[in-house]
Amino acid sequence: MTTIPLPTSGPVRDTIEARPESDNYLTHTRGVLSWVFTLDHKRIGVMYMWSVLASFLLGGTFALLLRTELLTPGPTITASADTYNQWFTLHGAIMVFLVIIPSIPAALGNVILPIMLGAKDVAFPRLNLFSYYLWVTGAVLCVVSLAMGGFDTGWTFYTPYSTTTSTGGVIPVLTAVFILGFSSIFTGLNFVVTVHKLRPPGMTWFRMPLFLWALYATAIIQVLATPVLGITLLLLIVERTVNIGIFNPQMGGDPVLYQHFFWFYSHPAVYIMILPAMGIISEIIAINSHRSIFGYRFIAFSSIAIAMFSFIVWGHHMFTSGQSALLNTLFSAISFSVAIPSAVKVFNWVATLYKGSVSLTTPMWYALAFLFLFTIGGLTGLHLATLSTDVHLHDTYFVVAHFHYVMMGSALIAMIGGLHHWWPKMFGRMYDERLGTIACWIIFIGFNMTFFTQFMLGSQGMPRRYYDYQPEFQTYHVISTIGSYVMALGFLTTAVSLFGSFFGGHKAPANPWGGRSLEWQCASPPPFDNFAKTPRVGDCYDFSVVRWDEKTGGYWVDESADPEVNPAAAPRAAH
Amino acid sequence: MSTIHQALSSAAAKAHALTGLAQAADGPTPRTFWMPEGASTIAPGVDHTLDVINWICYVFFALILGLMVFFVAKYRHRRGERFRTEYPHHNTPLEVTWSIIPTIIVIGIFVVGFRSYLDIYTAPKNAFDIKATAQKWAWQFQYPNGAQSDDLYVPAGKPVRIVLRSSDVLHSFYIPDFRVKRDVVPGRYTYAWFQCDHPTGMPGKDVRDPNAATVDLPLGEGQRHALYCTEYCGTGHSKMNRFVYVLDEASFAQWMVDQSQWMDKIPEEELWFKAGPKLFSRCSQCHSLDGTNGIGPSWKGIVERVKGYDFVGEGRKYGTWEDYVRTSILVPGEYVVPPYANAMPTFKGQLNDKAIDAVIGYMQNLDKLDPKTGKLLPTLDPQTAQPATGAAK
Repeated sequence: MTTIPLPTSGPVRDTIEARPESDNYLTHTRGVLSWVFTLDHKRIGVMYMWSVLASFLLGGTFALLLRTELLTPGPTITASADTYNQWFTLHGAIMVFLVIIPSIPAALGNVILPIMLGAKDVAFPRLNLFSYYLWVTGAVLCVVSLAMGGFDTGWTFYTPYSTTTSTGGVIPVLTAVFILGFSSIFTGLNFVVTVHKLRPPGMTWFRMPLFLWALYATAIIQVLATPVLGITLLLLIVERTVNIGIFNPQMGGDPVLYQHFFWFYSHPAVYIMILPAMGIISEIIAINSHRSIFGYRFIAFSSIAIAMFSFIVWGHHMFTSGQSALLNTLFSAISFSVAIPSAVKVFNWVATLYKGSVSLTTPMWYALAFLFLFTIGGLTGLHLATLSTDVHLHDTYFVVAHFHYVMMGSALIAMIGGLHHWWPKMFGRMYDERLGTIACWIIFIGFNMTFFTQFMLGSQGMPRRYYDYQPEFQTYHVISTIGSYVMALGFLTTAVSLFGSFFGGHKAPANPWGGRSLEWQCASPPPFDNFAKTPRVGDCYDFSVVRWDEKTGGYWVDESADPEVNPAAAPRAAH
Repeated sequence: MSTIHQALSSAAAKAHALTGLAQAADGPTPRTFWMPEGASTIAPGVDHTLDVINWICYVFFALILGLMVFFVAKYRHRRGERFRTEYPHHNTPLEVTWSIIPTIIVIGIFVVGFRSYLDIYTAPKNAFDIKATAQKWAWQFQYPNGAQSDDLYVPAGKPVRIVLRSSDVLHSFYIPDFRVKRDVVPGRYTYAWFQCDHPTGMPGKDVRDPNAATVDLPLGEGQRHALYCTEYCGTGHSKMNRFVYVLDEASFAQWMVDQSQWMDKIPEEELWFKAGPKLFSRCSQCHSLDGTNGIGPSWKGIVERVKGYDFVGEGRKYGTWEDYVRTSILVPGEYVVPPYANAMPTFKGQLNDKAIDAVIGYMQNLDKLDPKTGKLLPTLDPQTAQPATGAAK
C-alpha cells in the first residue's frame, strides 16, 4: 500500500485555516452569563452534556448502591427495604428521564445536527435554550422530591401503589417528569423543523447523514408520544391529590388503564433512546470503515419503520396484567415486526465492514461493543415478545437484563462512543486513544458480567425489584455486583481519558477520523457561526476523496476531486 | 368429605378428557442452565418454545459476531494506507433476503409461542378452584370447604384454577416451577391455572427459617415449589413469597378437612400458645415482639400502652383495650395512632372470633414467648405452657 502524496492546499482547508485559531464557539464570548443566556446550539448542547453526565454519575451511584445491597440475601448495607426501594426507583427515574432520553438528541444532537446540515443554528434557538432550562427545572424538582421524602414507586409509577404510598416526594417527581417531557417535546419540535427547513442546497432527504435520519425519526416520536406521558402524569397527580378515581378501582377506575397510558408513551420512549444511538453507530462504522454505508436506504427506512411500529406495540408490557388473550396475541404479533428493521440495521452495519478499511479507533471499539451488546439485547427481545415464554420471564431479572442490554449496552454505549467520536470536534482536543480503548474494554467486560448473569437469574425465577432473595440466587448476584464495580472502573477510566484531553491532549485536527459529512469540514472546535458561507454538499458517505494529512495528523476532503461538487473533476468509475 | 373426593376426581377425569394432557410418569423435568425444575403440565411446552428461540439466538449471534470479527480482522486499516475503493454500496437481492428470512423466523416463533400460550391461558372448565387474596405483604388461600392457608396446597394430577384478587395494590402471582404468572389487580378477578402431577409431600420445616412456626400437621419431607409476588408492592415485596405443596388426592382431601378445623380442637385457654404463634407469623412482617418498631408498633408492652390511651377506657370510644385491638384487626384505619401510617390491611373474613381471642391472649402472655421466634419459650411445656417439671421430662 502506498501513502497518498500530501496535497499542499485545498479549497476547504483554506477556509479553515483562514480563521484565527482562538475564535471558536467556546472562546467567542466570555463570562458565565455568556453561557447562561447563550442561544448557540453548541453551547446549549455542551451544557446539556455536562448536566446529563452529572445525572449519569448520580444514577450510577444508586446503581452501585443497589448492586452492593444485593451482594448477600437479606440486609447488606441497609437494613431497610424502603431505602432499597427508593434507590432502585431513583436509579431508574434518573437514568431514563434525566440521562438516556436527553443524552443523544439534546446533548450530542444539539451540537452536531446544525453543523451536519451546514446551518448556523437550529431553527428556534430561543426554544432550544428554553428546553434546556425546562430540563434544569425538572432536575431541580427531582432533588426537591428527594428532600421531601423521596419516592418509592418504581420509575413506572404504577397505580394504585403510586397514589397510596406514604413517601412525600411523589408529586414533585411527577411534576419533574411532566416538565422534562416538555423539554423533550421542544427539542424534538426544533429538530423536525430544522431538518425540514435548514438542509443546505444539494442535501436531499436521501443524502442526509444517517445520524440526521435517526434524530429526525426520534424527534417525531418525541413530539407525538411525549404528550401522552404528560397527560397521564397529570391525571396521576390529580388522582393522588383529590382522588378523582380514574385509576382507583374502589371508585370504578382501573389500574390497568394507567398501564396502557404509561406504556403508550414509554414504549415509544424506548425508541427515543435507541434510534439516535443507531444513528451514531451508522456514522461511526461508516467513517471508520472509510467506505460508503451498506444499504443506506434500508437503514434510513428502517429508522422510520421502527418509529412507526413503536406506537403499536405497547401492550407487550402487559401480557400478564389481565389484558385479554386476544389483545395479547395481537400485541405479540406486532411486537415481532420491530425485530425485522432492527435486524436489517445490524446486517447492514456488519456488511459495511466488508471490504472496508477498518480503523480501530476508540469510537470504533464502542461501535463494535454496541454491535455485540445490541445483538444480545435484540435477540433476547424474542423471548419476551413470545407469549408463553414471556409469561414465565415477565417481571423477572430476565427483563432487567434485556432492557439494560438495550438501554445501557446499546443506547448509552453508543452515546459514549458518540462522545468520543465528536469530542475532538466539540473541544478541539484529542484524548489518549489507548486509554480510551482500554476503558471501552473494561466497560464491555464489566457490563457483560453485570447483566448476562441476570438473564440466568431471571429465567431461573428471580423476581425483579427484590430487596431480599433466596440463597440459591447468590452466586449470580455476586458476579453481577463485581461486574458493576468493573464497569464503574471502566467509566472512571473513560473520564480520566476524556478530561485528560484538556491537560496536555494535543490539538485536534478538523477531521481526525476521515469523515465526509459537513461537521468534519469546519474547524475543531467549530467557529461561533459554524460556516462562513453555506458549504457545498457532496455524498456524505463517499470517502474516496478523503485524504490523509501528515502535518495536521488528520484528514481533509478533497472536494475538487468530487465530480458532484466540482464538475471539472474526471468522472470516477461507476461502482 | 366424600363430596370433596367426588368433586376432585370428577374434575380430574373431565380435565384429562378435555385437554388430553397425559399424566407424566417420572417426576418434574430437572433444572437446566436456563430453566428451573418444570413441575406443571405446561412447563414442557414453554421450555420447548424457549429452546427453539435460544437456538435461533445462538445461530444468529454466532453468525453476526463471527462475521463482524472476521471482517474487522481481514479489512483492518492502518493509518497512511490507501483506502479500499472496490466495495458494494448495496445489494438489493441480499437485503431483501435478509429482511424476509427473519420475517419467516419470527412468524414461526410467534406461532410456537401462541400455541403454548393457549395452554397457559385457558383453564379447563371444571378445574378445582382455590381463591387467593393478595395484600401487602401476604398471600391468603381459601379452599372450597372454608379452609385457609398461607402456603398454597394443591391436589396433584388435577387442573387447579387460582382465582386471584387483591385487597390493596397490584401484586403478581408467580410460580417459576410451574411457569405460571398472573398479575393480581385490585377491582378485578384474574385467573391462573396449572396442573402438577408430582406430589411434593407435606411441609417439614420452613427452609427460610427453620425455627419458624409450622403447621401442626403430620410432617413429611418433599420438594416444594417457590411462590413469589412479582409486581412491586412496597416494603415487604421481596418477603411476599411462600411455598406450594402438591399433595396426592387423598392427602389433599384430608389436609383440607384438618386445615378447616385446626383451631376448633384447641381449648379456649390454650389458644394463645397453640394457635397464637402460627397466627402471629402473619403479623410479624410489620410487628415485632422485641420492642423494635417496624411498619407497625411493636407488641412489646402493647397491653399497657393501649390501656393508657385517652380514647380507651370506660365511657370512651373503646370501652376496653381488647375492643381497640379487635377493631384494629378488623377495621385497621378506624383509629390510627401516630406516627404510624394507615398501612394495615383488614383481616375481616380471615380471622374469626376464636382467632382474635388467640391473638389477644398471645399479646397478654408475651413474657412467656421467645421475642425472636414468636414461639413459646423452650423452658415451658409445649402442652401446658407451664414451667417444665424437669429437664428429664
